[in-house]
This record gives sequence, structure tokens and C-alpha cells, in this order.
Amino acid sequence: MGKLNIKVDERECLACGGCISICPQAALLMYGGRAFVRQNKCICCGICIKTCPIGAICEVD
Amino acid sequence: MEYDVVIVGGGPAGSVTARFAAEAGANVLILERRAEVGVPVLCGEGISQRVDKWDMLEGKRWIASKMDGAKIYSPDGTLVTLSKEMAGNETGYVVYRDIFDQELARRAVKAGAKILMRAEATDLLRNGEKITGLKVRQLNEEFNIEADVVVGADGVESKIGQWAGINTILKPGDLETCVQYTLTNVDHESDYCEFFLGKKIAPGGYVWIFPKGKDTFNVGIGILASLSEPGMPLKLLNKFIAGHSDLKKGEPVRLLAGAVPVANPIETVRDNLLLVGDAARHADPITGGGLTTALEGGKIAGVTIGKAVEKNTFDKDTLSIYETGWKETFGKKLHRDYVLKNILLDFDDKTLNMLADSLKDYKFEEFSILSLIKALVFKHPTLLMKLKPLLKLSEKSR
Repeated sequence: MGKLNIKVDERECLACGGCISICPQAALLMYGGRAFVRQNKCICCGICIKTCPIGAICEVD
Repeated sequence: MEYDVVIVGGGPAGSVTARFAAEAGANVLILERRAEVGVPVLCGEGISQRVDKWDMLEGKRWIASKMDGAKIYSPDGTLVTLSKEMAGNETGYVVYRDIFDQELARRAVKAGAKILMRAEATDLLRNGEKITGLKVRQLNEEFNIEADVVVGADGVESKIGQWAGINTILKPGDLETCVQYTLTNVDHESDYCEFFLGKKIAPGGYVWIFPKGKDTFNVGIGILASLSEPGMPLKLLNKFIAGHSDLKKGEPVRLLAGAVPVANPIETVRDNLLLVGDAARHADPITGGGLTTALEGGKIAGVTIGKAVEKNTFDKDTLSIYETGWKETFGKKLHRDYVLKNILLDFDDKTLNMLADSLKDYKFEEFSILSLIKALVFKHPTLLMKLKPLLKLSEKSR
């Protein structure tokens, strides 16, 4: 099994910035009007997944 | 490019800072990441009518509707009505935030500020330790902008503060995660802001209904991030609307998401740098309202920067006039409401119901702690024990 990555579904993201403001690693950025996870900084804690008001962040293989 | 001040973000806090700095003679540039100031809207769009006295906005185009007060529904539906004088920051006007923001930007430009669109700060510019401006990307171009003062008006997801070494990361218990529909063709008579409380309705937050003109309402939800699950705000809002006899017949013309800091205010000043608005966590931890504090704080920031430019000194001491100013103007209230937020979070639905039952016939025009206690002792004496921390807080803040 490969390492799990956290990804923002850019078709769904409404750019509220909640995930960015709450990430303990400051791993998320706003890019092109959508939130974006920098994988090299992400520790897969999942706080952003819980925080997304529309469920647009998930774990992928 | 060289300016006295470069401001990251063309929202209300950024534009008001820009205006007052420019009026004091500063050379000001605003960077706006988006393609249109004020768009997309990320807000419930309520503001106190106190704004009328501030000479911030001209005309009436930014006003969608006027409010007569607030109606608060406890978990079992008990209604407490507040007149607008008592309802705090969140009643007054419902605004069109896009027009509202553009009107504030117009005033900044009229005062002499410049705006760079689709321009994003990518890092602070430094000479050794000293902050000397910003690295900027605009479309495919990258360049530096030198400035004596950098202002972070970059909203809840602020990076400027982090780059300057200020811890801006919010705890899950200090963020409300929100969604809102604008529903139209709704047959619902109300000139009030309506708020709905309860663990099953909105854990650690509330559902709001704000009238926005003919047959149209902003209907939104905020949930405390620490109590949320993936997608919970949208699911619970859909459930609320489906269960509301008037709202369920409406159709959405807009869906937006939002994130509101409900945190203790943070440090906002460094040498050559300050933070305003949501970036400074200047939103009320109880109501989530951040417009009045963005405007008041922005004005204090702009005036402070104007004085710094005049003296040609931009160190932390000089810019701290801003921090002292906002603490006096609204900082104490934000801190008190932060403590209050954590007390209220401990109340279960039953306690909220008892509280609402005690207050439902209460005349809020003659509000005082003593008469509040009388109302509670009369109806639900056991409540007094639960309210002890609240009463202590009110004594302290007097």
C-alpha cells in the first residue's frame, strides 16, 4: 500500500480558506483561486478534511 | 516599484487602511489576488448600522435591506427577540458585499491609492532581518515591490503574518466553518435577522436567515471546526432548509463557503509590518461578525501609518499605536466574547432552552445584569449556577 496523500478537489473547492488557516503545518496555499496541498509539508493529520464545509478534501492513494 | 505602504488584500480592512494612509499623504499600493474586488463573496453580509456614523461608505447601493433586530431561536424553538440596539454587531444592514467592498476600494483610490489586480504576494522582501517589501507574482510575471510598511489584509488564511513570524494558525476550536445559500422565491415575512441554536442544528455555531430584498434570503450555517465532520456544514444546512416550511420552497441563486476566525486577538505589529481585519483575527468570537472591526481597525491602521510616514519611522514602537488603538476600541470586547464563547460552548441544549424560556418575555431595552438575574431567579433558579462564570465575566468587564 502506498502512502496516503491529502488532496483538495479543485472542481469542488469554494476558496473559503478555512483549511489553510487551520493547517498546523501551514501546508496549504491558495493557488489559482483554489486551496492546494503541498505534499512535502503535509503530515496527513486530516484536520483540513474535517474542516472543509463542503467535503471537498479527501485522502487518496 | 517603490511605495510607502503595500497592502495585501483589497477587502474592507485593506481598502480602509489604504484610504486613511493615503489621506494622510502616504503613497499606497493595494495588491488584489482576485480578478474583481469583492468577488467571490465569502460572508453572511450583516453589518451594524453604526457604520452610518463613520463616513466610510457613500450612497445606498451597497445596502440590500434594513433590519429591525434579531430573533434567536433556542434548540426547542423558544423565541427571544432583541431590538437592534441590543443585538450587537450582526444586526443592522444586510449588504451586497461585492458592491460594499468596491465602494470602500473607490474611496481608497479617490484618496490616491493604487490597485494592482491579479497580483499575489509570494514572500516578504528582506534586507537582512528588516522587512523591506514584498515579492509579487502577477499573472506570469514575478517582481519585487519595495515599501516601508507591509500590511497583511489577506483574510482568514493570512500568510503575511506567518512570514513575519507571527503565529496565525488557528486551533480547530477557534474557527467556524460555514456555507451559505442565497435563496430566492422564498415566501417568508421577516425584517429580522434570525438565528437558530442547537447541537443538532449547528454544533458550536448557528444557522442564520438574513433578509436580502424581495423574496430573497441569505441562509447560512457556521459550525465550530473542532465539532465538525467532512462536509457537515453543507449537510446540516440542507437538512435545515428541507425542514423549514418557507425556505424549502425557495431556489438557490448562490452557494458560498466561508471560514470565520473566532479566536483571541493576536499580536498585529512588527517592525515595518502590521495585520488588519480577519488576518488579525478581528472578528467577534460570539457572532462571527468581522465587518465593523475591519473598518474600525483599518482606520486606526491607516492613520497610524500616515503618522509613521510623516515621521519617517516604521519600527514596532511607532506602529504599535495601531495595536493600542484597536485594543481600546474593540480588543477588550473581542477578548471578553472569546471567554464568553467558551462558556457558552459548555451549555447543553437543555440549558439553552431554559435560558431562552427565561428571556423570552424580557424587555431588552432596559437590559441590566440585575434585572437579568431577577428574570432567571423567577423562572429557572438552577440556571444561576450554570451562569456563574458569565456573571463573573460581566463584573470583570465593568
